[in-house]
Amino acid sequence: MPSDTAQIHQRPGTSETPTFWGRMTRWTPYRALVDVIYGSPRRQFLILAIFPLIWVLTQHLGPMMQMARVSLTSAYPVAPDTETFFTLEHYMKFFGDSIFWQPFFRTLAFAFVFTFCTLIITYPVAYFLARHVSRRNQMLMLLLLLIPFWVGEIVRTYAIMILLGNTGAVNLVLKTLGLIDRPIPFMYTSFSMGVGTVYLTALYMLLPLYSALEKLPKSYNEAGADLGAGAWTRFRRITLPLTLEGIGSGCTLVFLISTGFYATPVLLGGPSTTVFAETIAGFFHVAGDQWPTGAAFATIMFLAALALTAMFQRIIKAMRKGDAR
Amino acid sequence: MTRGNRIFMACIYWAFVLYVFVPLILMILMGFKDSKFIGFPIRSWTLDWYTGVFNDGAVVSAFGYSIAIAVLSTLVSILVGTWIAVLLEGRKFVGRAVIFGLAVMPALVPGIISAIAFRIYARGLGIEPGMGAIIWAHAVHNVPFVVLVVMARLSTLPKSQLEAARDLGADPMVVFLRITLPYLIPAIVGASIFCLLLSFDDFVRSFFLGGYDPTLPVLIFAKLRSGMSPEINAIATVALVVTAAIGIWAERFTRRMNKDSQS
Repeated sequence: MPSDTAQIHQRPGTSETPTFWGRMTRWTPYRALVDVIYGSPRRQFLILAIFPLIWVLTQHLGPMMQMARVSLTSAYPVAPDTETFFTLEHYMKFFGDSIFWQPFFRTLAFAFVFTFCTLIITYPVAYFLARHVSRRNQMLMLLLLLIPFWVGEIVRTYAIMILLGNTGAVNLVLKTLGLIDRPIPFMYTSFSMGVGTVYLTALYMLLPLYSALEKLPKSYNEAGADLGAGAWTRFRRITLPLTLEGIGSGCTLVFLISTGFYATPVLLGGPSTTVFAETIAGFFHVAGDQWPTGAAFATIMFLAALALTAMFQRIIKAMRKGDAR
Repeated sequence: MTRGNRIFMACIYWAFVLYVFVPLILMILMGFKDSKFIGFPIRSWTLDWYTGVFNDGAVVSAFGYSIAIAVLSTLVSILVGTWIAVLLEGRKFVGRAVIFGLAVMPALVPGIISAIAFRIYARGLGIEPGMGAIIWAHAVHNVPFVVLVVMARLSTLPKSQLEAARDLGADPMVVFLRITLPYLIPAIVGASIFCLLLSFDDFVRSFFLGGYDPTLPVLIFAKLRSGMSPEINAIATVALVVTAAIGIWAERFTRRMNKDSQS
């Protein structure tokens, strides 16, 4: 450490009234602290790294590892004076009963369909914003879409309930137009769940798509047009392949988020649309001895979601490579 | 692109805007309906539901509870997230990719699974369900967003400023406190607002880690399960106005900050 550090914070002639920083850097405990922290690059790095390392291991990885561990023990929370042992029985339970694996596959199927719907709905919106709107208006029009997405999950789910209910706005409009006599029961079906899920996740698709489309130079499409490609060919051969990355990250996000929804299916779905999140939650509402089963089911769902998104990323990667050739 | 095509695309955009806004607008309108029965059409209007909400102790305390949780969990997230970002950005070391992956992991774990994992972990640590547990879960869940936002800002910090400060004799601590940290302020403010909103709106973690006191989303959920009523619309509208106002303010603030630092 250079010994003249302290003086540097005083301008010549103002040495009688040192600044806050000047006083601090001359304060002995502070100097000692700096010498300890920055003694050597190696020590500095260790002091900087130790807390984040501990944090991510204990707080980020820890809960997941603990969940996996609990899913493999015979009983949890452990009652006093009892022995626990390693077991796979909680995983076996999953395959043993259709009331367990049916919601599981339903959740994955729903997530797939809803993700696809979100993509189809938001792609034209993102395309329009990125390609047909002036730079100034782009931000304003994007901001307009952001406002509703700051509103919470529960409030927006409730808004959908009011929209689709038997005395809701959609049924009222259809009735006034004379299209229906009796209200259509939209609520508590996979349809209402779909509308709700798309409503909640659209932004997570829109933003990656928008940033991918925005990066794509307009000249590529013009070159395609000059070479005689029609609008559809240009979209299929230029725009789509070059925005695959955005599509990939948007779909991954929406898929992961929609598999994790709990309140939305509870409020918008019915008995025939029970999703795995409700099954898992059921084990935690009753007495504690069901926890290992719930942990096992949550682990199964996490691994399945990870495997599917990893597979999806690989497909997107392969498609991008195929197009590069 | 032909003109017709362009108009068609514009229609899709405005249809999407309608899709996004209409449910919320209908929900807000329903809060002014002078009848216990949820449904259209609305024939007479009243403000009674709102006066009821502001006089309802349970709602007011849930509101305060949610805000306290949001503020405290955000403070933790910001501290930890900034620390991790400073470690990861612009440094090469063994295991950096692993730490980065772990640092952003909580944001990618599906909601219900993360809530269950936190529930089990809190039990293992002996943390009782309640305010502390919710703050902890929200803080961990929000760290990744802080890490990403702060890292993005840090990567644009001009190295010349750091070198200039060093040349003028500042020690590394002073460089961090007087150059790096002030430069990060826009990112930290932006990330704080984002964390506040995430925490305030969060349902699934609050639901599984909460004790007897409900947060605002948990209270709305509980009321919804026992039946719809314009009272819920009034509560939801208050929550909506608060979050949207904070969101819009934050957007303007970050834009102004970015403009200032560019010029």
